[in-house]
Amino acid sequence: MIISKKDIPAFLDGLMAEYRVFAPVKTGTYTMFQQLKAGAEAVLDYSNTKIPPKGILFPQSEKLFTYSLTGEGAKVEEVIDAAQSVVFGIRPCDARSIALLDNVFNNDKYQDPYYLTRRANTVLVGVGCNDPCSTCFCASVGSGPFDTAGLDLLLVDTGEAYVVETVSEKGRELAAKAGLTAAGDAAQAAAARVKEEAAVTSAVSTDGLKAKLDVNFYDGIWDLIHEKCLGCGACTYSCPTCHCFDIVDDATGTDGCRIRNWDSCMFPLFTMHGSGHNPRTSGKERYRNRVMHKFKYFVDNFEAVACVGCGRCINNCPVNLDIREVLADIRGSEARLDK
Amino acid sequence: MQNITNLVQDAAKKLLEDKTVDLVVGFSGGSLPLRSTPCFIRTPEDTAKLVWDLSCENNLANYLRKKNQKIGVVAKGCDTRSIVALIKENQIDRDKVYIIGVPCSGMVDRNKVEQLLEGKELLEITRDGDTLALKGKGFSKTAGISELLHNSCRSCGHPNPVLFDQMIGEPVAAGEVDTFADITEMEAKAAADRRAFFTDQFSKCIRCYACRNACPMCYCEECFVDCSTPEWIGKTIDPQDSMLFQIGRVFHLAGRCVDCGACERACPMGINLTLLNRKLVKDVKDLFGAEAGLSLDDKAVLDTFAPDDPQPFLVKE
Amino acid sequence: MKNPYLPLPMKMVKNFTETEDKLIHSFTMEFLSEEDEKSFAYLPGQFAEVCVFGKGEAPFGIASSPTEKGFLKFSVARVGVVSTAMHLMEDNTMIGVRGPLGNSYPIERLKGKNTVIIGGGFAFTTLRSLATYILHPDNRGDFGALTVIYGARNPGLLLYKDELKEWEARSDINLVCTIDRPVDGWDGKVGFVPTVTKEVAPPADENTIAIICGPPAMIKFTMPVLEELGYKPEQTIMSLENRMKCGIGMCGRCNVGGKYVCKDGPVFTRAELNQLPNEY
Repeated sequence: MIISKKDIPAFLDGLMAEYRVFAPVKTGTYTMFQQLKAGAEAVLDYSNTKIPPKGILFPQSEKLFTYSLTGEGAKVEEVIDAAQSVVFGIRPCDARSIALLDNVFNNDKYQDPYYLTRRANTVLVGVGCNDPCSTCFCASVGSGPFDTAGLDLLLVDTGEAYVVETVSEKGRELAAKAGLTAAGDAAQAAAARVKEEAAVTSAVSTDGLKAKLDVNFYDGIWDLIHEKCLGCGACTYSCPTCHCFDIVDDATGTDGCRIRNWDSCMFPLFTMHGSGHNPRTSGKERYRNRVMHKFKYFVDNFEAVACVGCGRCINNCPVNLDIREVLADIRGSEARLDK
Repeated sequence: MQNITNLVQDAAKKLLEDKTVDLVVGFSGGSLPLRSTPCFIRTPEDTAKLVWDLSCENNLANYLRKKNQKIGVVAKGCDTRSIVALIKENQIDRDKVYIIGVPCSGMVDRNKVEQLLEGKELLEITRDGDTLALKGKGFSKTAGISELLHNSCRSCGHPNPVLFDQMIGEPVAAGEVDTFADITEMEAKAAADRRAFFTDQFSKCIRCYACRNACPMCYCEECFVDCSTPEWIGKTIDPQDSMLFQIGRVFHLAGRCVDCGACERACPMGINLTLLNRKLVKDVKDLFGAEAGLSLDDKAVLDTFAPDDPQPFLVKE
Repeated sequence: MKNPYLPLPMKMVKNFTETEDKLIHSFTMEFLSEEDEKSFAYLPGQFAEVCVFGKGEAPFGIASSPTEKGFLKFSVARVGVVSTAMHLMEDNTMIGVRGPLGNSYPIERLKGKNTVIIGGGFAFTTLRSLATYILHPDNRGDFGALTVIYGARNPGLLLYKDELKEWEARSDINLVCTIDRPVDGWDGKVGFVPTVTKEVAPPADENTIAIICGPPAMIKFTMPVLEELGYKPEQTIMSLENRMKCGIGMCGRCNVGGKYVCKDGPVFTRAELNQLPNEY
């Protein structure tokens, strides 16, 4: 199927009749995913958003339930968002991260209804990357500029139009609803060419990385790797696969609510026991845990690296602590293939 | 700049060879154009990694607190003021730090570059005298360095190290005089407009605390924003809570903030944080005639009381 | 989809000061209905997230045994917002309980075997649950000999003093309580838990399992004693604690290596822990 770029605003307006539509929108210097008020707000010419769209399924601050205390008990009402949504313009790396997060919120024992309800009711319409940035290393971590993991539809930018590929049943239904026309041979060929020519210039070898992480927990290398890290949460809150959160209550008198907020394992209080004991006493332990979680524990549990190579942590880190260099240092060799 | 790089490398090398210090904290080339990154050098050979250029924007005083080793640090004017302030607060032992002072003509603001390039990726940057050539995929732009400097650098009154064990190169002239025009402009606005402006700014805040962690003067073991007994500030991203955090932080810095801009430079969301800090820098200057971190002999301004301190809130004039 | 974040309202009916220094209180929470009780089928070793509405939630090991009907019991040290609110709470206040969470002590595996329970300080909570469960007339016959070694700094800090007295009088349990240093009026054992364990614990054989729960220092010095007595890592069982929030393995906080203490634990064998980094 095919859709011309100039028809996109109308296409999005059409979707808005039935769905909440999220798309990249210019906000000051940066581009961020926001709910559209009009199809024309969506920008089609951008590399990626400052902060990933995972907040659409897993908001940074979210009410879990409200409660009201009475003499006989507590009336607890869950707050589940079941609105139908479309996320338009999500990059393949970010879509893959959502497929990874599915493992977290639907684990071997429990299901998170907040994330899973939104997930079931959201169609992810991706746009592949013709022109990956210098900080994109998706191809090194199992993804790529036209990866379809997590997507329902994949749009390939052929210049004046997008060739639309169906990835899932949900995507097929949406495309049918929108009445998209079939793409001709020329368009399909153009799409194939675009995919071939898209080049990911940043590459990190992950050969032997896991094997190193399996054994180097107590190695002195961690003293050096974290040294410039400030211990802030910029990388965590920029990361599409990070999922740690905190739960707090907010109340006045007998009425209140329970809220969850993103949290970061980089903060010292994250693992602080009530007794004052902290299993991760310094930035070294916390940074080691971050790397281990993404490149070893997640692999052990779900056979996938919890990093999609989007490069946001590299761009947003105040001290330019570059995960690609960290991985190369761990492998102990010149593992940066692009340096 | 190249010359300064070599001088910095030589200075660091000598310090390590003579074992004057155990460690040198400086900058090395970053992994992206227009980025450099803090580096920790322990051997004379590794000093070859040190650089000095327009991207050395971090305040390295942040890495000096409560250390047992003798540390050499590459510090520009504002950084040395932070070191002075921290020495007075007993966070740094003067005898344990060796300051390689570097006169600074300003650092480039990456946000300004990003705006100039309209969000396109910067792939290469070269300096030609007073201009920078910025190249990316299919485009090339030039700009005067002075246009691209951080605002705090353009009106910096103390570009030269105020305390040092060794100075690299010649002192430089101060920038434009700081009239705090940005502050008086904001002060002139109606309260409702100011509130709307700051609420909009803080709607971008993601509570990553990069601002706090990048600031050399923020070192409380338990930051007030993390305290749960009592919970002074809500933990959601409600802009009112984010704004209250920053206002509280700025008040905790009053009289101690040296206006180095590290907070604003660290913020991934581009929030105009120095507006708040500079308001209090201006107030402290107006009320007490003091600026933080200029001399080891000055007492910390809000730590001292003089009977003639202005107190219009207390005494009817 | 069951929502694992919703608390079950329960009534806190007794706020009992358990220790002489007043730092630990025990709470009895009553189920509001039989249905509620049926929905909370648990085994010794599991924990629950107890919430004080408006203050927050915190994880506590369940001290009661499922053989004790109609209520749950928790022992809580006063360390922060939630525990302080609980300590100050008046009887008959409505609270919330989320659970049961975590895995349990391996009850099926313990059947037919001898059990040695070693506890210290106020880590004894879930061990009380286990001992009570085993001692129940319906269950006692399924289990072999039961030895319980329980140490505290001084007599005033021992939990569940009434139960301890009852257990001392029984012949189907060998209870040895110990305190760190001699105190007037205490005629029981005096000595740290590792030392007493060495004296009193039966040597290991393939029919004996050791279960240990206590502060890090106690564990550190008791483990070598157990090893000397021949207890292999597979027969040594521990219950860990860690800072928790969700209790269901999603918020990422309580991991030790690739395992979540809340979901994959808190009960682990020493063998399993040896595979994990020493970060707890």
